[in-house]
Amino acid sequence: MCEPLSFFESASGCTALALPFLERQIVAEWGALRGAMRRTVPTGFSRDEWAYLMAFLAPENLHAPFVEAFGQPVEGGRPSRLVRPRGVVAVWLPNNVSLLGPLTLILLTLTGNRILLKAGSRSDDLTGAFLAFAREHLPACPLRSHLEQYVHLEVFAHGDERQARMIEQADVRIVFGSGSAAAAVHGAAAPLRGTGFSFIDRQSQAWIEAGADTGEVLSHLIRVFAIYGQAGCTSPRRVVLLNGTRPQAEDLRSRMLELWPQVLRFQPPVHVASANTMALQWAAALGWDAAAAIHRHAVIAVGDLSLETIDAPMFLPICPATPEEAARQLPDNIQTLGHAFLDPADPRWLRLAAATPIKRLVPIARMHHFGPLWDGQRFWRQCFEEIEVQL
Amino acid sequence: MSELLDRPPYSARDDNAFLAEMQRLTRHHLEGCPAYARIWPKWKCAGTAEELPFLHVDLFKRLEFRTVAAGLVHERTLRSSSTSGSAASQIVLDNLSSRLQARSALAILTDMVGDRQRPLLVLDDALSLRQRGVVSARAAAAMSLRPLATGIHFLLRDANDPASLKWDLLAEVLASSEEFLVYGFSSILWLAWGAAAAPEDVRAKLRGKRIHFVHSGGWKKMEALRVDRARFDDALTRDLHPASRVVDYYGLVEQVGVVYPLCEHGVRHVPVWADVLVRDPYTLRVVEDQSGQIQSMNVLAHGAPYHSVLSEDMGRIVPGGCACGRSGKRFELLGRMPHAALRGCANV
Repeated sequence: MCEPLSFFESASGCTALALPFLERQIVAEWGALRGAMRRTVPTGFSRDEWAYLMAFLAPENLHAPFVEAFGQPVEGGRPSRLVRPRGVVAVWLPNNVSLLGPLTLILLTLTGNRILLKAGSRSDDLTGAFLAFAREHLPACPLRSHLEQYVHLEVFAHGDERQARMIEQADVRIVFGSGSAAAAVHGAAAPLRGTGFSFIDRQSQAWIEAGADTGEVLSHLIRVFAIYGQAGCTSPRRVVLLNGTRPQAEDLRSRMLELWPQVLRFQPPVHVASANTMALQWAAALGWDAAAAIHRHAVIAVGDLSLETIDAPMFLPICPATPEEAARQLPDNIQTLGHAFLDPADPRWLRLAAATPIKRLVPIARMHHFGPLWDGQRFWRQCFEEIEVQL
Repeated sequence: MSELLDRPPYSARDDNAFLAEMQRLTRHHLEGCPAYARIWPKWKCAGTAEELPFLHVDLFKRLEFRTVAAGLVHERTLRSSSTSGSAASQIVLDNLSSRLQARSALAILTDMVGDRQRPLLVLDDALSLRQRGVVSARAAAAMSLRPLATGIHFLLRDANDPASLKWDLLAEVLASSEEFLVYGFSSILWLAWGAAAAPEDVRAKLRGKRIHFVHSGGWKKMEALRVDRARFDDALTRDLHPASRVVDYYGLVEQVGVVYPLCEHGVRHVPVWADVLVRDPYTLRVVEDQSGQIQSMNVLAHGAPYHSVLSEDMGRIVPGGCACGRSGKRFELLGRMPHAALRGCANV
């Protein structure tokens, strides 16, 4: 009876949103946390990761899911639907999960649900570290109360009895991990109980149209690649130079190598440099024309789409190809296509996307931008229950 | 065949002769191994050892290199003991290299443990020798001591279980000689023997025996067990003959035949048919006065281009001569390069 109500208006009518807090206030409190974040980078986060988290917490970014789902905020109205949290959202995060963990947590706090998080048991846990940071640095406020009372993080290994309890409580199950991990969670849920989302093994590519490879595009490409290399599901595992030639691909590679020290001014850990010495040789053995970035930070190679790729974390191949050839070689588990097109509004890109299994088509700079629509699923919207209202 | 192998391992270095043999070997691999030639397409010759091509050690976990040439017969594959679920290195062994490697290992180990023949006790199970066409690194290391052995006795029932030591067999073998060689991976030697509670009859039979313990495999697990070298050596040699010794050697599966035992003064010496360089991991420049990645070279490997390998072990060259009397280059092994798990998304 005492839930604060917010109202939103869209072309489909007015929506009343009943959250345990005022949406605007929580968004503002997340935004204010950035002050403390500017002063301290907790152990476990790289500076790039922390900067990305700060950018993600911008109020306009956190407000966007509400606008997209319900429309523009209005002062009141005659709603045709009432929207409220489903209850309990449970999230399974794999070992070594990237920023996707903290980003998911932030988005889910906006839904007002109780959140159960299961973090990996064998690694640094960024989600837990970020949660602890927020609880420690937020002043007494509704967001802090919510994080303390309604967000529960558990770390346990495979086979732990807490797994069954978590599944049993969940109204929404979100599983990051392997296909088998997702199947184990969803398969153990009671029939008809809740709804489930699986964010399983995916990979991404960057498509750059010849002539669109500006210095800005290449700087973005270096940044999105370097943060996780091939290990990130939204990192480009391959760059396709659309309608480009081999010399143009070599030129693109040369310019990336020149730009690298301006974009990334730090030296990678010594094992990364060593792994890249190995990757450079491996790539050459398979026929790639490979070169190392400064400090052996990465290996950038030029070659045909038909060449066997290598499983090395910081290996980035560049292949010239036609759009049709590029589309044909997309793997079944393609997720994000980061683009730099001469004319992004050209309808042929949408037609091409429609004919492929891609889940996201975004500018290269936004490849890692996590959002309420992920892997083709509006998971954030599904964390709410929708009540038909006729008043 | 290498003329350098005819010399004592730690005699005066002949860098020109070594370089000439390495150049010949490198050309042989460039001609006979297409994958190697693709990695070093522009290499023509080297004026110094540091200009010789190398392969990164982990490449042998990804690709099977094989050099084809007249008279070379590839016989078996040497497989490293993979740790932490990582892939194993695979080295294709050939008839010629195997002979050279056996000579090399024997010469180096003889320098450390003497040339007297005695029973060899191996902290492994006999099954590790019985895989057709494949030989494990552990078995290969143990077999390098075979020429010094009057007989070989495998002491473990289960190669992966240090608690499976056959004390009854050990007691029986101890009665047969006053002098022994014992080989094991460092951590297994410690857990199965050094830290184990031997039965009273075995302890009694060990008293006064002259034993050379030879171990390899690195010190990482020992650090995890919080065992330092002094404690390790003391535990093994307690109550034995005063001439008993513990010899810890460093070797790479990818450099089979060349091992680097720790001398009495705590450094590792390079035999004349091998060389060791230390490279900066970021620039790959050879460094003399700082630590870096160890590159190990030898003139023994003909069947595949593992004659020059950049390891993931860190070390530094130690200048000057050594009080142990061995001449030539020497180095300090600083341990494995630190690694960190990569972060990813759903696919990790």
